[in-house]
Amino acid sequence: MSGTRLRESARGPARNPATSPPVTARTGRLGAAAERYGLVLLLVGVVAFFSVLPASSAAFTSPANVQAVLASIAVVSVLAVAAVFPLACGQFDFSVAATSLVSSIVCAALMSNHHAPPALAVLCGVGAGVLVGLVNAVLVALLRLNAFIITIGMATLLPGMVQWYTRGVDLVRGVPRPLRDFGSLTWLGLPRVIWLVAALTAVCWFALAHTAFGRRLYAIGGNASAARLVGIPVTALTFGALTISGGLAGVAGVILTARNGGGLVNSGVDLLFPALAAVFLGATAIDPGRYNVLGAVIGTLFVAVSVSGLTLAGAAEWVPAVFNGAALIIAVAVSTLLARRHGTS
Amino acid sequence: MTVPESVAESERPASLVVSDVHKSYGAASVLRGVSFALTRGHIHALAGGNGSGKSTLIKVLAGIERADGGVLTRPGRAETELSGFTPDHARAAGLRFVHQDLGLLPDMTVAENVAFTRGFPRGGGRRIAWRRLHETTRALLERFEVDVDPTAVVRTLRPADRAMVAIARALADDDPDQVLVLDEPTASLPHHEVDILLEGLSRRARQGQTILYVSHRLDEVLSSADAVTVLRDGAVAATRGTENLDKLHLAELMAGRSLGTLYGDRRRPASAEEPPSDPVPVLEARGLSAGRIGDVDLEVRAGEIVGLAGLLGSGRSTLLRAIFGAVRPVSGTVKLDGTALTAPSIRAAMRRGVALVPEDRLADALFPEASVARNITVATLARHVRWGRLSRSRERATATGAIEELRIKTAGPDQTVTRLSGGNQQKAVVARWLQRAPRLLLLDEPTQGVDVMTRADLYERVRAVAASGTAVIVASSDVEELAHLCDRVVVLRVGRVAAELSGTEISVRKIVKYSYADQEAS
Repeated sequence: MSGTRLRESARGPARNPATSPPVTARTGRLGAAAERYGLVLLLVGVVAFFSVLPASSAAFTSPANVQAVLASIAVVSVLAVAAVFPLACGQFDFSVAATSLVSSIVCAALMSNHHAPPALAVLCGVGAGVLVGLVNAVLVALLRLNAFIITIGMATLLPGMVQWYTRGVDLVRGVPRPLRDFGSLTWLGLPRVIWLVAALTAVCWFALAHTAFGRRLYAIGGNASAARLVGIPVTALTFGALTISGGLAGVAGVILTARNGGGLVNSGVDLLFPALAAVFLGATAIDPGRYNVLGAVIGTLFVAVSVSGLTLAGAAEWVPAVFNGAALIIAVAVSTLLARRHGTS
Repeated sequence: MTVPESVAESERPASLVVSDVHKSYGAASVLRGVSFALTRGHIHALAGGNGSGKSTLIKVLAGIERADGGVLTRPGRAETELSGFTPDHARAAGLRFVHQDLGLLPDMTVAENVAFTRGFPRGGGRRIAWRRLHETTRALLERFEVDVDPTAVVRTLRPADRAMVAIARALADDDPDQVLVLDEPTASLPHHEVDILLEGLSRRARQGQTILYVSHRLDEVLSSADAVTVLRDGAVAATRGTENLDKLHLAELMAGRSLGTLYGDRRRPASAEEPPSDPVPVLEARGLSAGRIGDVDLEVRAGEIVGLAGLLGSGRSTLLRAIFGAVRPVSGTVKLDGTALTAPSIRAAMRRGVALVPEDRLADALFPEASVARNITVATLARHVRWGRLSRSRERATATGAIEELRIKTAGPDQTVTRLSGGNQQKAVVARWLQRAPRLLLLDEPTQGVDVMTRADLYERVRAVAASGTAVIVASSDVEELAHLCDRVVVLRVGRVAAELSGTEISVRKIVKYSYADQEAS
């Protein structure tokens, strides 16, 4: 009843409003399904629209464009998935994009400056991400500092260090052919990187949505105090979530190196907000009201598809940005308002 | 003005008459022809269990919810149709509301809080005239006999004073004909502060203030109100004077059925004379010190229900938390089934079969966004894992079983838990721990904010659990609850065991006596 709802939201446990996903409705089977798959339907609609629209249809449906769209989401979707882990347990990680830059540079530098074998360079790239994740974890989980602030600090600090190390020069030599091929060629008609992204997504989706580990992370995000009092190791799991986030950002960094054929000193960092936007967009779908992996990936796909379609249809340069921002705001507003209406009737 | 206590309701002027209020949400009829009248200078209680329609009625009177029909009459003023009632109408009709959360900003001063509804006095250049604000606030507080400083930050006030500040603010304008509506004002107050607030209210009433008092706490209704209107299923079950009404009768009016005795049958098999059959106690705490508690010895045997009594701050919760491993003891040992915990932690305690239902349900027990099922299975996740995967069907089966067993009122296991009433939320939390078949069940204020009917269910369940061999500790500020439910009651006073009562020694009077300081101990 509305009374309980109002009262409890006022007296409820101290949630971090910043990390709370948009509250969404769960009433009625049909309504629930519509909400769950709303974003997917929207994606299908956008695909259909640009496939039919004369201005874009030919180019939009070409295999080359499909491949380009998919390849373009590789890095950002891994970053989005990375951010889901800390968000699930109520912590922000704004450093994912900066971490991927560091990993990309570490990976490229080992090959171009130190002639390390590619396998080792890739491993160290991922390792650099894990290392950043560990530092975040120590500061946030162990020392209980505010993740919002700490990871913004990290996101500012890391690109600065990259500038210092590279002196602003991209590292484009010495990246071996197989790694560059991995970034630019296809397997079975799909970009090679997408296979890796799909595998990672599947594993992370399973871990968060279908294991006790994932359930415990969400429990911490829902009410950390209650989680502790049912024996959930809050510190350890928060630590783990931030480390996983760093590690996944490290993988994103390696993909970045493969895609760019080297370490570009300004790559990756501009993907922070697109990645977070995809996570928030994704929280309105699949498992509405929770930050979830599939939703996040569908969110990135939705954005990429619409950008591609709009560009091919000849929209002005500013249109995709406006479209994406509006999509995020409208999606969150609609799902929140729906929830509120169901909640009070 | 003094009025003899025995004057009948009808002889005093009615201050407010509400008649024939109807309200439905779709097919669900929430209010079905509710009528009642308030007498000037009386405290009139509005009682009813969860879902009786009492919150909706208050919202209608506040103009927050639109009624389908009904009339509000105040003598000397125009009649108002409740179907078009707005907050402005409510204000014009002289209704003043203080809601459960009081609506105060805790980090601002008393004067600022008052000014937010009454307006800030302005000086030159529209700057706030602070001195004038403090003076008017001081005058207001004096008028209401609230002894707090206008510059005090609300958070630093004791809860009863906070409530009085909210009341003073609501009645700030000098309209003598106002009706004060208090919606569960004591729900968030510690036990001993309730009396302070009720005393303040009685004083206001004696000065002619008409008060509508919404509560489901029977004691308060009976001790403070002159009359009570009981709502049940959206209709008035009865309106009575409180003089010849006892607690059981009131509870039965609310429940609409006979409750036998309010707390179920007394059960006192393990009296002091009988030697315990089981040589090793389930819990044996020796010299336990942690936070507020110092040097506490406590033993609980299988099948026993032990009560923990004591005033607020006596360390009841701390003791439970120390046993549960949530608070690290400074010294002392906790033995479970005869063996000490080597490294005390929540997880270690849980492995040994300890379960804790915490005091603050919303802050420490519920996962508000999650479903009833997820709230129930969260302490037994491992049991629902198959091949590394959490089986939703197993979870749902567990939850469905628990919902039936504890009679949890919910649309189903997938319902979001915060949609449930407080009592049913509490049942879900209890169900969570019963899944683990605990060896030692710790209950901290298990019936706080829980209506009479749900209480009876919970008591029954606790007794059944104890009968099956679980040791139970109940910490409660409801002394009657302890007296009726427990085989033994341990009274804490400033962190130490002040008394231990068992069998026929247990009485409300004795528990209260030992809870208060040593002056009585001689």
